Amino acid sequence: MLKYTVRRFFEMLLTIFVIATATFFLLAAVPGDPLSDRADRLPESIRENLYRKYGLDKPVLERYVITMKGMLHGDFGESVRMPGYDIQKLLQETLAPSARLGLQTIVVGVGVGLLLGILAAMFKGTWLDYIIVFFSVLMISVPTLIFGLLLQKYVAGEMGLFPIIGWPSGEELWFGGWAYTVLPTLSGCFSYIATYSRLLKTSMLDVINQDYVLAARAKGLSEPQIVRRHILRNSFIPIITVLPMSIAFALTGSFFIEKIYAIPGFGRYFIESVQSRDLSIILGQTVLMSIVYVAVVFLVDILYTLIDPRIRVGGKA
Amino acid sequence: MGEKLLQVQDLRVSYHTYAGEVQSVRGVSFAVEKGETLAIVGESGCGKSVTAKSIMGLIQDPGEIKPGSRILYEGRDILKMKKREWRAYRGEQCAMIFQDALTSLDPTMRVGKQIAETLRVHGRAGKAEAAEKAVELLRRVGIPNPERRAQEFPHQFSGGMRQRAMIATALACDPKLLIADEPTTALDVTIQAQIIDLMKQLQRELGAAIVLITHDLGVVAGIAKHICVMYSGKIVERGTSAELFYHPRHPYTWALLKAVPRLDLKNKQELATIEGTPPDLLSPPAGCPFCTRCRYCMPVCKEEMPPDTDFGGGHQAACWLHDPRAPKVDAPFVVRKEAGGI
Repeated sequence: MLKYTVRRFFEMLLTIFVIATATFFLLAAVPGDPLSDRADRLPESIRENLYRKYGLDKPVLERYVITMKGMLHGDFGESVRMPGYDIQKLLQETLAPSARLGLQTIVVGVGVGLLLGILAAMFKGTWLDYIIVFFSVLMISVPTLIFGLLLQKYVAGEMGLFPIIGWPSGEELWFGGWAYTVLPTLSGCFSYIATYSRLLKTSMLDVINQDYVLAARAKGLSEPQIVRRHILRNSFIPIITVLPMSIAFALTGSFFIEKIYAIPGFGRYFIESVQSRDLSIILGQTVLMSIVYVAVVFLVDILYTLIDPRIRVGGKA
Repeated sequence: MGEKLLQVQDLRVSYHTYAGEVQSVRGVSFAVEKGETLAIVGESGCGKSVTAKSIMGLIQDPGEIKPGSRILYEGRDILKMKKREWRAYRGEQCAMIFQDALTSLDPTMRVGKQIAETLRVHGRAGKAEAAEKAVELLRRVGIPNPERRAQEFPHQFSGGMRQRAMIATALACDPKLLIADEPTTALDVTIQAQIIDLMKQLQRELGAAIVLITHDLGVVAGIAKHICVMYSGKIVERGTSAELFYHPRHPYTWALLKAVPRLDLKNKQELATIEGTPPDLLSPPAGCPFCTRCRYCMPVCKEEMPPDTDFGGGHQAACWLHDPRAPKVDAPFVVRKEAGGI
């Protein structure tokens, strides 16, 4: 297990290196640079100074070496769009709103999703099952952004039940200002509800037909006992694969929702930096997100061995 | 004649499929005495597993036990029981050993816990006591090092050990009736013999009655007191083991006995088979279901189901050959005791 962990760790490093390299060259391959839109209007000498300041006057390969060296020390360079900002400072300011939104979305989405999944599986073939399936399909087919806009227009705008945009800050950063968070959380959680209810339902129906469920019934267990003790645990194996990924995805920001509701989160800045070709920020965010994802994948493998004893990676069966 | 523990009377089970109603079990009756072993033998799809599941109340939609069927356990019709009564009956009065122990044990639960679970749900023991009893049961079914094994998961067990663990699970509450649905089918021949020996030994010790479902006549020879031969959802012949092996009366039983591989078989000699396939139970034939595969088929066989002919001592066969008007036919071979094959 130790050998496996060490090997996996180096594989993680390699993956992140490849992602950083690919991101760098892809950005370099795109015509134009972060300064080009304003540089045209500037006098020649100032322009050269600006380019020198951000190191953009050097050839691509040299910039690559400098960037990678800096990255080793956690230095991704200064933001072009927001002078005085680097990725660390941006993270400090934007991660909390994103994380809160992400956590709320996941808790509501996965919680409700799993509950509906259990109901749909246990009442398979009844009207309850059909209603859940109908709404799942609806919620998974309509993009998050449409829900966001619809809720904003009708629930916040016309009915005036919640604020249209904004996010709690200061003392209320983590707890408080709930009214602001309701609509963004709702818009975000629909896709999770749909995904998880369907995933758990399919998985449970598969497990219900297993021989050990019949065997449990033959032992004299009641239906709720069978669900609790045998069906749920076995049905959760596919959920465990997907859940950490969802959490990582939600924590690193829901781009559209943050944009629509003007939430000062990580995702919103990511979109804005891409739009303004803010190289160091894009690179920094991409690498950080990939670190989170790669770490999550690693975590999933470890979790697997906990819930499913049959999986013993790299060891004897 | 001992006291009847279980009486199955005119059991009919159908499965409702898109193609129509499949009549899996078409009027089966038998009785099991306390502490005796009854074997139900037949090929795949003859309804023997469905019969076993009916006794455990495990027939689920789209399956249906037809009205008029009765299963009496200690004189009480279990088909009329309520859900709660079923739960008290399953596992405690009547336990089941399944065919494939690998898929019948929960892969995510420790073996000891799965055995203890039966005790726990029937309120027979507290948590610690049940865990202790589980280890004791594992020891009893011949698993070495039971303390450590109880902490392991099913995939860490070998096939034979898993089946032993299944038996331990079934025995947890000392049931009076044990239903073994093809308990040896998924095992190697040598392990099969061990499992059968274990079941015999446990039956002697515990005095439970066993209903043994199998397609392998070789398996039942040493253990069963009575044998029912099932074909197409009906019992075509029944009797004591000795009667059935040495004086079989039904052409299907003859064919089955002939199909058992024998030690004195010449090298490269082909194994005997039964040509053809059983009838489609979507539209069961009016006559004898075996007539299309029977060497002795007569016109009447296709028209009407033969009645049971009684040969004394509980030995019955449903075949027109035993009608006084039928031509006299002898069994095409005899099972010789001295051959030692069976």
